[in-house]
Amino acid sequence: MSAGAPPVLAARGVSLAFGTPPAARTILSDLAFEVPEREFVCIVGPSGCGKTTLLRVLAGLLPASAGEAHFQGRRVAAPQPDIAIIFQDYGRALLPWRTVAGNVALAFEARGIPKSEHAVRSAPLLAKMRLAEHADKFPAELSGGMQQRVQIARCLAQEPRVLLMDEPFGALDAITRQTLQDEFARLCESEHRTVLFVTHDLEEAIYLGDRVIALAANPGRIVEIIDVDLPRPRRQLETREDYRFLEYRHRLFQHLGHE
Amino acid sequence: MRRVAIGMIFPLAVTALWELAAWAGAVSGDSFSRPVLVAAALVAAVADGTLLRQTAETFVSAIIGLAIATVLAVAAGAVLGLSRTLERLTVLTVEALRPIPSVALIPVALLIFGFGQNMTGSVVAFACFWPILIVTISSVRGIDPRLIEVGRMMGLPLAKRIRKLALPAALPGIMVGIRIAAGIAIVVAVTVEIAANPRGLGHGMIVAQQSLHPDLMWATLLWLGLVGWIANWGLLRLERRWLRWFWAQREA
Ligand SMILES: Nc1ncnc2c1ncn2[C@@H]1O[C@H](COP(=O)(O)OP(=O)(O)OP(=O)(O)O)[C@@H](O)[C@H]1O
Ligand SMILES: [Mg+2]
Repeated sequence: MSAGAPPVLAARGVSLAFGTPPAARTILSDLAFEVPEREFVCIVGPSGCGKTTLLRVLAGLLPASAGEAHFQGRRVAAPQPDIAIIFQDYGRALLPWRTVAGNVALAFEARGIPKSEHAVRSAPLLAKMRLAEHADKFPAELSGGMQQRVQIARCLAQEPRVLLMDEPFGALDAITRQTLQDEFARLCESEHRTVLFVTHDLEEAIYLGDRVIALAANPGRIVEIIDVDLPRPRRQLETREDYRFLEYRHRLFQHLGHE
Repeated sequence: MRRVAIGMIFPLAVTALWELAAWAGAVSGDSFSRPVLVAAALVAAVADGTLLRQTAETFVSAIIGLAIATVLAVAAGAVLGLSRTLERLTVLTVEALRPIPSVALIPVALLIFGFGQNMTGSVVAFACFWPILIVTISSVRGIDPRLIEVGRMMGLPLAKRIRKLALPAALPGIMVGIRIAAGIAIVVAVTVEIAANPRGLGHGMIVAQQSLHPDLMWATLLWLGLVGWIANWGLLRLERRWLRWFWAQREA
């Protein structure tokens, strides 16, 4: 956190209501937080508390009713390629008529990179996501975990400054999910990525995050912010058995456990 | 093979009945001819090239019309499918123009183009435009908004979002429209040739009928059915190839 430089991403009093005034429903209420450069920030909250809605506001897909989303000190009014989002439902976010390589290439096409360079540029990304031998398959021919890795590879190809991730591992089985958690945590560590990671699983939030922001529902508001002091790289067994992990879990559970 | 063999039983039986009925004098040879004579006329017309020339004339007109209709209707349908405002502005016009029978345009097309393939092609294009337009609008409207959001997040401009996302996503639906229109194209092309344009298979049938050659008339009709069937089969094959991803998704 270099002093003076604005945080990569910030919510400045973001509120959001759906519907017109008499029947309006407040979904997000006066949210304020920052995502500094190179930090992995997790947002955890019960289903329906507005996590997806919040990410859509930060991504510029949805205008806030009050307050502003900021990217590097400037208001986010529309989507911009420096902010990438990994959608909750990977099945809907991939282009079913394009192969794995073709889906990743979409990001290159958007950046105006000549076609001759696509293969060279996507190879390391696919290798990183362990998709190298599946480059020519269509999404329908892949497992859920592989499809999600394609979406991640495509977002990395976009070379964004910040990654917004909406319960990216939520629909996967426990083992696939732990594998992806570790792979992704390692990737973010080695590349010093800035990430805002949404989940409803508080253990996942503590396990991955440098900081955990807890939301409560109706309306969605911040009830707790925890700075996670756990050594990296994190390990599935040791980290989860660390007394600090259990203490954080305890604190968050008080807010989220009794819904 | 077995399915083909079983499928052949009915037409062969009808042909045999037709031959018998002609022999017994139950149907008039002047209007119905006889299968043997029809087959001979078919072989002769294929051999001397007239049937192939007429087929080319009819199909070139039909394909020109279908191609023009496809390009215009897919472009218009994509825009109208994405923009509610434009759709509301044009819906009345579309609903007013669509019921005009395409054949009623023959006199207009004659005035503009004179005789020839452009005249038939333009009437075919009018007839094919509507089904493709309507199917394209509804297919584009039905695509998952998430796909468009993916494009917006990457910074793809609108034109590329249409070309790279909306149209491919809508392609399975659009292909259904094109296949329906392809059938219409042949019907309309032959109709125009029968009614007004002295070329192609339609005109060939009229000439055969007027010169008292029922065998050639029936032969042309059978040929038309055969060629139409092959064209549809070819389109289906193309569709299977282009939409490999779609069928992979269906089977998964
Ligand atoms: N377009 C919309 N119009 C009206 N209400 C909406 C809209 N989108 C979301 N909501 C409401 O906003 C609330 C928050 O939805 P959101 O999808 O952000 O929750 P979430 O925290 O992501 O939940 P989950 O963990 O189940 O994904 C829900 O009550 C939902 O019904
Ligand atoms: Mg959600």
